Amino acid sequence: MEKEYIKETNRSVTLNVTGGKIDSFRELEKTTGTVRVYDNGMIGVAGCLGEPNENALTEKAKEALSFGIPYPWRPDAPLALEDIREEEILSVPDFIPRMQSFLDRLGALCPKFAFSHKLRLEHNRAEYRSSAGRRLLSAGRAISIELVAQNRGSGNLFDTFFGWGGTKFDEDALLAWIKEQYDAFYRPADLEPGRYPVVAGTETFFETFSRHFVGDLYASGASLLSGKLNEKVFSEKLSLRDDRNPITFPGSRFFDAEGCTAPDFRPTVIEKGVLTGLLTTKKTADQFGLPNLGTAGAPYDGVPGIGFSRYWLDPTAKSLKELVPGKAVYVVVAAGGDITPDGRYATPVQMAYLMENGTLVGRLPDLTINGNVFEMFGKDYVGAVHNDPIDSSILGAVVMDVEKA
Amino acid sequence: MIQFRDGYYADIRIEDRSRTVISYKAGVLDEMRNREERQAFLRVYNGRLWYYASVTDIDHLQQTLDGLYAAATENPHILENPIVRRFEKNRDTIDSFGGCSVRDIPLREKQKLLLSYLPLLTEESCVTMPAGTYLDRSSLFHFQSSLGADIRYDYQTCGVAFNFPMAEGEKKFSGSWQRGCTKYSELLGLEEELRAAVKEQAAFLRNSVPVEPGKYPVVLSPEAAGVFAHESFGHKSESDFMLSDESMKNEWELGKTVGSPILSIAEYGGIPGSGFVPYDDEGTKARKNYLIKNGVLAGRLHSAQTAAALEEGLTGNARAIDCTFEPIVRMTTTYIEGGDLDFDGLIAPIKKGYFIKKVRHGSGMSTFTIAPSLAYEITDGKLGRPVQISVITGTVFETLGLIDGLTRDVELLSFVTGGCGKMEQMGLPVGFGGPYVRVSSMNVQ
Repeated sequence: MEKEYIKETNRSVTLNVTGGKIDSFRELEKTTGTVRVYDNGMIGVAGCLGEPNENALTEKAKEALSFGIPYPWRPDAPLALEDIREEEILSVPDFIPRMQSFLDRLGALCPKFAFSHKLRLEHNRAEYRSSAGRRLLSAGRAISIELVAQNRGSGNLFDTFFGWGGTKFDEDALLAWIKEQYDAFYRPADLEPGRYPVVAGTETFFETFSRHFVGDLYASGASLLSGKLNEKVFSEKLSLRDDRNPITFPGSRFFDAEGCTAPDFRPTVIEKGVLTGLLTTKKTADQFGLPNLGTAGAPYDGVPGIGFSRYWLDPTAKSLKELVPGKAVYVVVAAGGDITPDGRYATPVQMAYLMENGTLVGRLPDLTINGNVFEMFGKDYVGAVHNDPIDSSILGAVVMDVEKA
Repeated sequence: MIQFRDGYYADIRIEDRSRTVISYKAGVLDEMRNREERQAFLRVYNGRLWYYASVTDIDHLQQTLDGLYAAATENPHILENPIVRRFEKNRDTIDSFGGCSVRDIPLREKQKLLLSYLPLLTEESCVTMPAGTYLDRSSLFHFQSSLGADIRYDYQTCGVAFNFPMAEGEKKFSGSWQRGCTKYSELLGLEEELRAAVKEQAAFLRNSVPVEPGKYPVVLSPEAAGVFAHESFGHKSESDFMLSDESMKNEWELGKTVGSPILSIAEYGGIPGSGFVPYDDEGTKARKNYLIKNGVLAGRLHSAQTAAALEEGLTGNARAIDCTFEPIVRMTTTYIEGGDLDFDGLIAPIKKGYFIKKVRHGSGMSTFTIAPSLAYEITDGKLGRPVQISVITGTVFETLGLIDGLTRDVELLSFVTGGCGKMEQMGLPVGFGGPYVRVSSMNVQ
């Protein structure tokens, strides 16, 4: 009988912001334990909330073998690896005064915005052990800022959003980043309908498309990419990976739920336009004869399924100015888009700026953007840039049809 | 027995939750588990700051509560605080599912039920990888506050959900169907409904044509109308978004005309289903609230904090997805009230338009979006060919004003997958629905 043991601890301190003032303090500590056992091609899983008792969980997992859930045991090579990044970012007692000071400065710089939502410190630790000799430990901290901004008097739920996560709280850089958008927000801009480079976060482009990368759907023939593994489907400039690297994605763990690791801790889906990987677990890889990419996630008491970390695009330019030297649409909020069965993607854009030479010119009206995914990531793919306009950001650029909503 | 201290407001919410998940993919058992969890969320308020703790160790709640008291400064006048003064002091026990708890049904019986439905998915040759899931949740809630509230109630949902990707030549379609309810017995005998759904979606795969983008009259099914009510206006009624900006109260003044005179949108946590919340997570009793009544802004959804800030009454809408999070303002069951037409009468005047039958997802801010999964042409007042539509969109207030027809009967739906997401709290169970709703013009893409 083979066995895996996983223990995860997530600690966080979260401040709620209303109207630029902190009004609550939430402390959370959540520990979970998991034991998976494998015998005769079956899996048994047991999990617990709270400090795990490994022996008790092992017995419970053995009992769960009787459910008869087929799952292959495919051991990875023995490996002992630790990635510990536990340097304190801000102490808990300092967190409230430091954040309120930041919010006060922000309020003074951007008086027409009312800010709300969350500021968070996280400390995550994950341990994986297997009977095949894998011992992995990942621990890290992160600070994140998620601020909704309402243009006072607009009557809107929210007008724009600022989300950032990292390990170094550079207050001045964050303030400058928000201030640039604030100034542009109050400069109306316009755009004739047409085709423009659209610059956006990776979720805008890949959130709805990503289901077509899932191994099960691929094998079923219902994915838009079915039958195209190892074929060049997209632009040479496009390389898409799952970022599990704690250096570039602070607070993440470098291995998946089955203890798999990838080069640079970034499993690759598309390499220079070639579809090289599909999102799989060891089971779906085995079941459908696909290479296992190592993109499993799992509930603490459940069988592994697909779990993606964050979309990573290889950078093709050093700055936004270099990426899109002319006129471009910089998308901040685009919610509600989808793809038709034949690959046409359309989404409304609720918040976007006109950008020229990498600088925000002004705020655009509500837009609709659309294109065919094979063209968007093929001949119309422009490239990607990292750390511009803010540290740790990843933005992609695609030429799309843009029209006013 | 919890000892609350004077000089603070405090409450404790405990949830004892049982969840079952059984799933099959391509005929192979993929998951089978029953999770039992007990968690608690504690809040202490001193009139200035809220202090929260989420714990799994519910045997030492007093210790956790004392820790929160130690972090907060005492306020001898806390009982005069406008938020604290609004809290209700209900004492009640509601046992809705004592005689029919899904906890009492053996796992193997649930598995057998799911297995009985799976062969129906492959009756259509185009289905490539049928998948089915049985899900249930049973929760026992206990809420206590320093003001004397003491409430126990139960909550239950169960359901089956099926996904059946289809492919035929170059044509592809992601088929799906689910049924959510509150009693296990309601999951029996669904064969004909499931079979018809698979057949209809196979026909959609084979016969659907791309839509000609443009502005058209659109008829929404009760499912699509419910998504529309939830996304387009329900979220705008969550009054926590009004706290940060003082001008919001004027912008959203009650009594303002916001939609067609035939439009009324209501919200009520007392309706059995996935949005059943007889008491919210601050101990407020559910009541029916109109968000829009005859086209006029009639009310909004509140927690005690937002009710106090806007000087309005409680509505029973402070909810958290579980005991990891604090309650925030959320919907329960949101629906459009019925009108005076039947379906044939509703579509009869439409020369060229679309009927949105099933929806994959929706979202809404100043503009809303609905991504249909099943849609049909309406030509000369009759339903026609199936059509592929990526999204329908519109400006919320313009669209609310363009509603010009409603059928009499209202259908309320429950769900066992998905749920409502709001910032960090995703997957909150809600219910929604409505009649068939005709909108004279929407942007179809």
